[in-house]
Amino acid sequence: MIRLEGVAKRFGEVEALAALDLEIRAGEWLGVFGRNGSGKTSLLRILVGLSQPSSGRILFDGEAPDADAWRRVHRALGFMPERVSFFEHLTGEKTLRYLARLKGVSQDEVGPLLSEVDLAGAAHRKLGGYSKGMLQRLNFAQALLGNPRLLVVDEPIEGLDAHGVREFFEILKRVEGRTVVMSSHRVGMMSRYMNRVCVLNAGRIAALGTESDLHRTLDLPVRITLQPSVASNGHLAAELERLAIGSVASRNGAVVVSVSQRDKIRFLACLQPLEGSIDSVRIEEPSLEEVLRETH
Amino acid sequence: MRRTDAIRAIAFEELSDRLRSRWIWTVSGLVLVTSLAIAFLGTAPVGVVGASGSGAVMASLLNLAVYLVPLLALVMGAGVIIDEKRRGVLDLILAYPVSSSEYFAGTFAGYAAALSIALVSSFVPTGIVLSVTTGVDIGEFSRLLLLVLALGTVFLALSFLVSILSRDHARGIAVSVLVWILAVFVFDLVLVGALMVYPGEVPPALFGSALLLNPTDIFRLLAFSWVGSAASPLGLATVAPPMPSAILVAALGVWAGAALLVSHHLFHKRLATDRLV
Repeated sequence: MIRLEGVAKRFGEVEALAALDLEIRAGEWLGVFGRNGSGKTSLLRILVGLSQPSSGRILFDGEAPDADAWRRVHRALGFMPERVSFFEHLTGEKTLRYLARLKGVSQDEVGPLLSEVDLAGAAHRKLGGYSKGMLQRLNFAQALLGNPRLLVVDEPIEGLDAHGVREFFEILKRVEGRTVVMSSHRVGMMSRYMNRVCVLNAGRIAALGTESDLHRTLDLPVRITLQPSVASNGHLAAELERLAIGSVASRNGAVVVSVSQRDKIRFLACLQPLEGSIDSVRIEEPSLEEVLRETH
Repeated sequence: MRRTDAIRAIAFEELSDRLRSRWIWTVSGLVLVTSLAIAFLGTAPVGVVGASGSGAVMASLLNLAVYLVPLLALVMGAGVIIDEKRRGVLDLILAYPVSSSEYFAGTFAGYAAALSIALVSSFVPTGIVLSVTTGVDIGEFSRLLLLVLALGTVFLALSFLVSILSRDHARGIAVSVLVWILAVFVFDLVLVGALMVYPGEVPPALFGSALLLNPTDIFRLLAFSWVGSAASPLGLATVAPPMPSAILVAALGVWAGAALLVSHHLFHKRLATDRLV
C-alpha cells in the first residue's frame, strides 16, 4: 500500500531520518517506536504529506503523489496528531461537522462517529468542558471521518492516565480492517495491538518485524522462573548450574534462569529429570521495552 | 468537494472565532464611542471646539480612522496562522484534502469579514447620528465607510505578512505596533521634514509618488477627492498634486495584493521546509 524508498529528512545539519526503506502493507497495524528524537514524528509527517522528504520518495499504491494526488490520498487518510487544540467555543458535534465539511464527507457521519468514540452524550457540550481523554477521543473521531483506509496516529496515549489508555484501546479495537500506522514511545502498552513493529533509533530503522521476529533477531534472553519443591532440599539452583545452560540466580526463594532463545527448548528438555524438585515453571519472553533498550 | 467549499468553511469558522475576540470589540467599541463623541460634541480632534459643520466632523472621523483602523487590523492579524500551527490545527487541516492556498484564502476571508463587521458596527451608528444631527450626506458617509474598509483590508493583509515573518505572536504584536507607528506617524514626519529642508525643491510628481508608498496617505488622498466636505483639514494630502482616483484605488489594491502574495509565498515556502514556526 505504502512504500518509502530511501526517504531521508534533514533539518540543516541535523539528520532526522536517514534513507529509510519501508513497506507498509494494506490492512496491517504497524507500530513505530523509538525514543524522543528518534525520527518517529518526522516519519509520520512525511506519511501524511505535511513534510517533504529531503531525498527519496514515498509511493501510495505504487504512485508518487503530486499535489492533486495528495488530495486523493488525504481523502483516504485519517490523521490523529499528537497535540491539537480545537476551538474551545465549539461543541464536539460542531467541531466534527466543520471538519466533515473540510473533508467533503456527509454530515450524517458525525452522529455515529460520536457514538463510536463514546461521546454521543457530550456531543452538545463545548470543548472547553471536555476532559483530556474526551478530547483525545474526539481527535480520534475526526481521524475516522470519511472511513479512511489508512490511519496515521501520532502518540495517541501520551499524557493519558491508565483509564484513558484503556478507553483509547477499547475504541481502537473497533476499527479493525484498516491500515494503521501508530507511533509511541510507550512500547509495552501498544505493541500487543500491532502486527509489526518498527523501532527507530537516530533516524534509522534499528529493528523491523513482528514481535517474535525481533526477539529472534536480537536473541534477548528468556527468563525462566522455577519454584523449588520441598523435595529439592534447596539444591535446585546448584543442579541447574550443573547443566551449564544460561545464567542462574536465586531470588525470593525462586530460581531464575536466563537462557538465550536458541537454548530455551534444550533447557526445558533438561528439566525432565528434575521434575520432582520443581513445583512450577514460569517462562517470560523479553518485553519490547527490553528490545527498545537493546536497539539504542 | 469543490475547492471553494473548503475556503468557505474555513472562512466561516475563522469569522466566528474572530468575532469572539475581546480585542476586536474593545477597539471597535472605542471607535464607536469616539466617533459618537465627535458627532455629538463637535470637532475637538481637529482643533475646533463647539458646534460645527459636517465637513469638520467628517474630517475628524477620517483622522480617527487613520489612527485606529490600521492598529485594529494589524493587531488582529498578529498571530494569524502561526497560532494555528502551534495549536496543531494547521497540521490537522493540511492533512485533510485542503491545500495551503485554500487554507490561506479561507483564513484571510474570515479575518477580513470579521474586521469589516467590526468596522461597520462602529461606523454605521455614527453615520446615522450624523445624518440626523448635522445633516451629513449619507452618500458621502458611505464612501467614507468604503474607504475605511479598504484601509482595514490593506493593513490586515500587512498583518498576515508581519505574522508569518515574525513566527511568534508576541513578536508579531511588537512588529505590528512598529509598522503602525511608521505608517501613521513617522512616514509623514519624514516627508514634512523633507519639504522643510528643501523648500520648493521637491518635485510635485516625486512628492505624489512618495505618498503612494504609505497606504494611510493613499487613504487620505482618496478621502480628499471622495469625501469633499472633509477635504480641508487633511494634512499632507492637501498639498499633494492631484491624482486620479483610479491610480489611488489601484495603489491600495497593489498594497493589499502584494502583501497577500508575499505572505502566501512565504507561508507556502516555510511549510515546505518545515520552518513556519
